[in-house]
Amino acid sequence: MDAREGRALRGDDGRSAPQRGRRSTAGGGGAWRGLRAMAALALLLVLPLALAGCGEQGPAVAIVAGSENKPLEPLVQEFCAKRRATCTVSYLGSLDMGFALKSQTQPLQADAVWPAASIWIDLFDEGRKVKHLKSISQNPVVLGVRKSKAEALGWTRGDVTTADIIAAVERGELKFLMSSATQSNSGASAYLAMLTTAAGKGDVLTAQDLGDPAIQEKARALLAGVERTSGSSGWLGELFLDQDAKGTHYAAMWNYEAVLMETNQALVARGSEPLWLVYPKDGVAVSDSPLGYLDRGRGAAVEGFVEDLQSFLLSPEIQARIAATGRRIPLAGAAAIKPVPAWNFDPGRPVTAIRLPEPKVIWAALTLYQEALRRPSLSGLCLDVSGSMEGAGMDQLHQAMGFLFSPDATRDLLVQWSPQDRIYAIPFTAVPGTLEQGSGAPADQARLRTWGEALAAGGGTDMYACARAALRAMGPDLAGGRYLPAIVILTDGRSTDGLDAFLGDWRRDGRKVPVFGITFGDADRTQLDQLTAETGGRVFDGRKDLVDAFRAVRGYN
Amino acid sequence: MAISRRALGLGILGLSAAATGALIYGRSSPLLRGYLGEAEKLFGFIGGEKERFVEDPEVVSLLRRQGGLVLDARRAGSIEMVREPALLDQHPQFLWPSSSVLVDLARASGVKIQRDQVILNSPIVVYSWDGIARGLAASGYATADGEVRYRLDLAKLLNAILAGRTWADVGVGALYGSLRLLSTDPNRSNSGFMFAGLAANLLAGEVVTPSTLPAVLDKVAAIFTRMGYKPSSSGKMFEDYVAGGPGAQPLVVGYENQLIEWVLEDEERWRRLNSDGTAKPVILYPEPTVFSAHPLIAIAPEADRLIELLMGREAQQIAWTRHGFRGPLGTSGEIENPLVRDRILPRLDQVVPMPDFRTMLALIDRLAA
Repeated sequence: MDAREGRALRGDDGRSAPQRGRRSTAGGGGAWRGLRAMAALALLLVLPLALAGCGEQGPAVAIVAGSENKPLEPLVQEFCAKRRATCTVSYLGSLDMGFALKSQTQPLQADAVWPAASIWIDLFDEGRKVKHLKSISQNPVVLGVRKSKAEALGWTRGDVTTADIIAAVERGELKFLMSSATQSNSGASAYLAMLTTAAGKGDVLTAQDLGDPAIQEKARALLAGVERTSGSSGWLGELFLDQDAKGTHYAAMWNYEAVLMETNQALVARGSEPLWLVYPKDGVAVSDSPLGYLDRGRGAAVEGFVEDLQSFLLSPEIQARIAATGRRIPLAGAAAIKPVPAWNFDPGRPVTAIRLPEPKVIWAALTLYQEALRRPSLSGLCLDVSGSMEGAGMDQLHQAMGFLFSPDATRDLLVQWSPQDRIYAIPFTAVPGTLEQGSGAPADQARLRTWGEALAAGGGTDMYACARAALRAMGPDLAGGRYLPAIVILTDGRSTDGLDAFLGDWRRDGRKVPVFGITFGDADRTQLDQLTAETGGRVFDGRKDLVDAFRAVRGYN
Repeated sequence: MAISRRALGLGILGLSAAATGALIYGRSSPLLRGYLGEAEKLFGFIGGEKERFVEDPEVVSLLRRQGGLVLDARRAGSIEMVREPALLDQHPQFLWPSSSVLVDLARASGVKIQRDQVILNSPIVVYSWDGIARGLAASGYATADGEVRYRLDLAKLLNAILAGRTWADVGVGALYGSLRLLSTDPNRSNSGFMFAGLAANLLAGEVVTPSTLPAVLDKVAAIFTRMGYKPSSSGKMFEDYVAGGPGAQPLVVGYENQLIEWVLEDEERWRRLNSDGTAKPVILYPEPTVFSAHPLIAIAPEADRLIELLMGREAQQIAWTRHGFRGPLGTSGEIENPLVRDRILPRLDQVVPMPDFRTMLALIDRLAA
């Protein structure tokens, strides 16, 4: 039976049914009543047959997933197509997903959530709206190091511990890419594993450990090795490859085992040096990639659909296909993919997983990362105050500045500044305006906030000139290598061309500063795309929510 | 043939009107009673571990056929259901938590109990993996009873955890770091709750009472602190165990029936697991252990019939053969499933009672801190 027939059958029955219903309420003789009841009963028996038609249209289902699940979307769509359902998969960082789950005002618009790890659901889902969580794959977060570097460090010949990694960073022999611990699960996992192992007890991290100066010092030393960070592990993997193609060969990256395998496949395909996977012997964090149903009142059909999707993804056939992507799969689902000894990649190898602490200790650890342990930010902010920003544009910019420099607001979302950070803010029109600078100390933030909320619009647009001014201002701080730098440009228009002049300065400065863009109003995205691609940055859309765009970009700096 | 959405909607509306009409009619017509049944709905709360049993088509049919009952059983935490006003205010006709202690707690919360009867039993066990179990046996923490079945000296293991022993110290060289045993959050889930009681009993050397509890409170708290992040339900804990494997979930507290149910749910998966080279799940039976009894608390008189039916031979057999629940006396069923036979201890001789509910409340309050 095809879909059209299925609907037609129900339609025919449906048209005659109300009449029967009405007549039965009118009443009648006993025999007649019995016959009517029989007819109704017959109808009841037919109904399930009609509904069970194989052409049944499935529901429209929204799924929110972590970026590391992107390679598995085709499997999800395969199931949705089979069920004639419309599935939209959007990607959000684990923390973003958590904040959205918690939000009363802007609840998460999704029927299924598929974050990197269960812990984020437990931390944020206060209303217990997520149900039927099941692990689809198991993903250790490990360190990938260029093979020659791993050989030089002696790591290809035996077990490596976290202490070995800390020592290499302290000797200045190792730098790595790692996503933000406060914005992304892989970064949080790597960070919590480092803290746990740095505590050295082979035990669960406690609140007391977090206050221990010796442990803090070790964690800070390790995080000094962060060369680039990001709000997303998927994007970090892309950055690694993209920069490799452009001639910047990063030495190492913390990421999921499977993402490192994908990275290696791409590196080998282009003749670049692959990464050697380091599984610290004293413990790695393992993410469980759970898929769950988010109850927002859509009823049993959607709930059943999500459970069926789980069963599909956990069926032996699909588990085998998931295993082929380098992911580990829950017990007996399918055999792991073959190891690649040349990369030390082996998803069949058992790892000692670190035990995550209690939720309140996790939160305290993330706050400590953001406020004290991470590599300090060196931020150049270029703010477009050209004439076209007049009115609503400036209102939103003032709001965004109000958010960015309010410690209470930023702390709630774990993007707060620390007194170690350096901020250079420059308003620009056709020419850069007067620079305002400060650290992330509360008094400096208050001053920056007053300044930002008083900015006025008027004039032309040249973001390149502002970016050059920012680079000049950041110059002295760049030299020491203490800071994690970034230039963030907010613009709503089209700049007079100055890309080459900026890139000239940028190259002379050692190509160290990525440029991020936030689009606004009628911004010409092509200019920002070009600028960010050249420098290893990323463009954020600020048109819907400027405050949120500023929050997101903080995860990359 | 095209049909408008509105016409379709009207059609479905009509159908449901007709269906309702038929149902109303059927109730009063002896002719149709046999088809539609004179089912009585019973509303109540059950612990999540019994959800599959209650939803088992054989159980549904049995209750309907023999007692004319249809259950509207909603899942709730065993501890919540006997003391949360939000749940009790919904006027459940029955409660089916997973520990006998909770009957007293229900009474203390003002629940009017008509009758209570233990229907099922499942011992608290520790789940582990073949390699780890062999190590524990070699170092005297466990005793092999057959090939893949172990008895666990839980008191000794708890003391090793308190003494900060490493895995290597207890004969498990493959794992790094401190020995650890995980359970669910005792304030939210019954298996964690019962494990807390068992641990307190073992550390005290007797069933703890309000007067002997203070002496062991710190030790029990230390064991729970070392677990770190604890799942909120026994179901999630077991899922984590099978998904995580020996590296992530080396020793995990659960109910005996969870593995049996998992095996029976997909027998092919179990055969596959036993034929490949990966680690195999193993049950360690703590000696002594506690039984998670599943007392059905009848609040409405109609729930009495439910108790009678579930105590019947047929329901008890389904509970054992399809879900791994032991009967009211803690004995295993007569029919043995060859797939799990070697992993199950048919008789448990060393069973201790749980501490009384006042002691338990004092204990879990401390563990919440």
